[in-house]
Amino acid sequence: MARRRKQRGRRKARRKTAHRSIWLWLFAGLAVLLTGYIAYLDFQVRHQFTGKRWSLPARVYARPLELYAGQSLSADQFAAELQALHYHPVRSPRKPGEYSRNAGKFHLLSRPFDFWDGSEAAQNLRVTFAGGSISRLEDGSSGTASSLARLDPVLVGSFYPSHNEDRVLLQLNEVPVALTDALIAVEDRGFYQHHGIAPLAIARAMWANIRAGGVVQGGSTLTQQLVKNFFLSSERSLLRKVNEAIMALLLEWHYDKDEILEAYVNEVYLGQDGKRSINGFGLASYFYFERPLSELSVEQYALLVGLVKGPSYYNPRRHPERALDRRNLVLDMMVQLELLDVQEAERAKQRGLGVSHPGRKAINTFPAFLELVRHQLQRDYRDEDITSEGLSIFTTLDPQVQWQLEQVLASRIKTLESGRAIKAGKLEGAAVITSVQGGEVLALAGGRDPGFAGFNRALNARRQVGSLLKPAVYLTALEQPRRYTLATLLDDSPLIFTARNGDTWEPRNYDKEFHGQVPLYQALAHSYNVATARLGLALGIDAVIGTLRRLGIAQHLNPYPSLVLGAVELSPLQVTQMYQTFASGGFRMPLRAITAVLAADKSPLQRYPLSVQSVIAPAANLLVTSAMQFAVREGTGRAILQSFPAERFVAGKTGTTDDLRDSWFAGFTDERLGVVWIGRDDNQATGLTGSSGALLVWRDLFSQFKPAGWSQPAAEGIEYQWIDPVNGLLADAGCADAVQLPFINGSAPLDTAPCKRGESAAPGTVEWFKGLFK
Amino acid sequence: MKTLAGLILCCVVMLLAVQGCSTTPSTGGSRPVIEKGSPAPVTSGRPAPVAPPREQLESPVVAPQPPAVLALLEQAEQQANAGDLGSSAASLERAIRINPGSAVLWYHLATVRLAQGEALQAEQLAVKSSSLAPGNRIQQARNWKLIADARRQRGDMKGAGAAEQRARELEHR
Repeated sequence: MARRRKQRGRRKARRKTAHRSIWLWLFAGLAVLLTGYIAYLDFQVRHQFTGKRWSLPARVYARPLELYAGQSLSADQFAAELQALHYHPVRSPRKPGEYSRNAGKFHLLSRPFDFWDGSEAAQNLRVTFAGGSISRLEDGSSGTASSLARLDPVLVGSFYPSHNEDRVLLQLNEVPVALTDALIAVEDRGFYQHHGIAPLAIARAMWANIRAGGVVQGGSTLTQQLVKNFFLSSERSLLRKVNEAIMALLLEWHYDKDEILEAYVNEVYLGQDGKRSINGFGLASYFYFERPLSELSVEQYALLVGLVKGPSYYNPRRHPERALDRRNLVLDMMVQLELLDVQEAERAKQRGLGVSHPGRKAINTFPAFLELVRHQLQRDYRDEDITSEGLSIFTTLDPQVQWQLEQVLASRIKTLESGRAIKAGKLEGAAVITSVQGGEVLALAGGRDPGFAGFNRALNARRQVGSLLKPAVYLTALEQPRRYTLATLLDDSPLIFTARNGDTWEPRNYDKEFHGQVPLYQALAHSYNVATARLGLALGIDAVIGTLRRLGIAQHLNPYPSLVLGAVELSPLQVTQMYQTFASGGFRMPLRAITAVLAADKSPLQRYPLSVQSVIAPAANLLVTSAMQFAVREGTGRAILQSFPAERFVAGKTGTTDDLRDSWFAGFTDERLGVVWIGRDDNQATGLTGSSGALLVWRDLFSQFKPAGWSQPAAEGIEYQWIDPVNGLLADAGCADAVQLPFINGSAPLDTAPCKRGESAAPGTVEWFKGLFK
Repeated sequence: MKTLAGLILCCVVMLLAVQGCSTTPSTGGSRPVIEKGSPAPVTSGRPAPVAPPREQLESPVVAPQPPAVLALLEQAEQQANAGDLGSSAASLERAIRINPGSAVLWYHLATVRLAQGEALQAEQLAVKSSSLAPGNRIQQARNWKLIADARRQRGDMKGAGAAEQRARELEHR
């Protein structure tokens, strides 16, 4: 028995110790688990907070507007630029970003800005306009003349990551103290005292909520709110509350108050713009007031702080009364804490909300141009870098030209539709405008509706180019001055070409007639197909393809005879590349949409410099350009002359394809090059030739540009001679219909035309100069 | 080192150069007067297309640079002297945007590119400069000298010699 009892007792004790050890183990296990869990949270907090906190979209800027006396810019254009920059019209400007206007006189305080080649300080400027250009630029305070100033550039778009996060990142020292004071006053008065959570505040909030019978006060500290936004989902559960508290304590343990506040200021959710969420005060300032945070006044800070509680409930655009009450409440709280004196608060309360119009979307105003930018960026950057590294991308876009282009393209297409009884909406268009010597893309239209980010015809529509190709044929000829000059007679009589396989090709002229012997310059100016085909065949298709390669056409070209009449499909951008070489005097240059890229910290990452390559001898290029001048003077492009003074340099070429499917015009002055295409997406006939369609868009646009100078192209080794176009022989100014043509030195005809008078007439260029400089 | 010295030399002549290169050397120590604005536009009853340009005249009239361009040239010079060649080039590109037809601006850009070690592009820019200065032998000779330097930098001694020969011919014509 005793033994049994003993055994039982031993068993009992054993069971007891087993019990205890189970509890011990359980406790130890839990402790390990909890420690592990906290360590896991700690890792999360530290990893996310110290590592990259936000993915920042790339910001895309237009070219900065340069202000200097003589700059072609009207007062209204300047006002439009200031509006796009969200400068605010006031009676007398006191802060950067404000301006006043009195007719043609502006007074403005410009904003400082970091460019790739240094910082531009804020400036006090007076700008006077007269006759479509800046007549005087002076320092606003001293009144002395300034030679040059550069405004901050218009933000034309952003490249967002797929989840549409957007942010304007601020450092704490960039955040106005009035804003952080108000924020702390309203959201977390004990911010600088607590360690992440404030039990007293929670108790107070609970008590207030019980008394009010609903949630009127939240007890979360700023740190907890940050944790909630930063790491946690929006579900409401006890576990989440516990996590929030632990993580808040951990955050405070690792980081100081300023770091936490800075993160909060950039993270807090303050509104929604379609799919894009508005996070942080920096972006919210632009979203609600269209200006940087530093330019706001106290009641605007109060409004933003008031929004923290409920961006949708207090949405100032949708619920202005609620927002106003909330704002004034915040102002009162600021008075309570002596952050604001009573009079100041009363004055602030009298002011309206000052929220900008919601209709005008500042983001991605020019989707077609932005596509080109992105395209060029993808050569050097990975997609995720473009959307998350906070790059600043400086482009060549000239908003003035872009606006003008969009306007003329849409209205001209509409007129063309109604004039040709084409169903409204069927006709489409595309255009590219560049600077002649820089190869910078100033404006680009991918369709008639500029805001529509759909099919970008300027980049992606490949259409037959027709006669736009002809200058390449003529250039190939003119590069052989012993065989061809502008006065060489070409044969425009019927032609039947039989290929080796027996196929025949019988090119026809647009007017269905043959013109016999025509001087070379006229054959191009009037775009005669038969003469061009014969010339192309004589030169050899491969020689013409070689010229096209040098001009900048990189795509594969089939060596068919019809190539010389433009049986090639190119995009408007490719055509622009080709004509850029003509326009710039024989230099091929990459068409640039980007000038520089800065990293998020404003350090220069990459420059896209001006670069040129001489591919056509300047003299030969001048000859073909001269023939294109005749095209707009007396050839297929003569409708241009209506809108341009005779002494202004304009050259260009029309293009029309079979059954009038495509209407093209490529033309340039000494400053700008423009390529316009009009046609239908379904490739049906439009009833338009190059001259009755695309040329009119070009003319509408280019007649708006005020020329800076009047320079004519020139080249070394060129002489001018009077020529009788009937026989291509030497004439003089006295001959009826005689024209003055450039020749590569020594290539002018030696025989004289019958109309030329005797030795008394001075030969060559002297006559012309007499007329000019008398 | 040699190219940097060359650049500094170029910067010294920069202010002289921007006042336009006339075929007659400036007299004595007097600084050429820089007139504001560009010359009056050529107007005549005749249409100008395909007419010979002004540069065909015996003594070319070179337009003075507008003050905005002069300011940018000064800035480009300072940036180059401070060793910031990238910014210097950017300033010159701004100047070219304002006055794209000015051969002397393209020449300066070529000198900066050469100092950056971009010999091929420097040569192309010098060719561009010459194409904008038909009849201006001084500018053309200067461009050929720069091309000679650029070719030397690339190790093309034969090409450099030929370029120098061209420069000499232009100077003594």
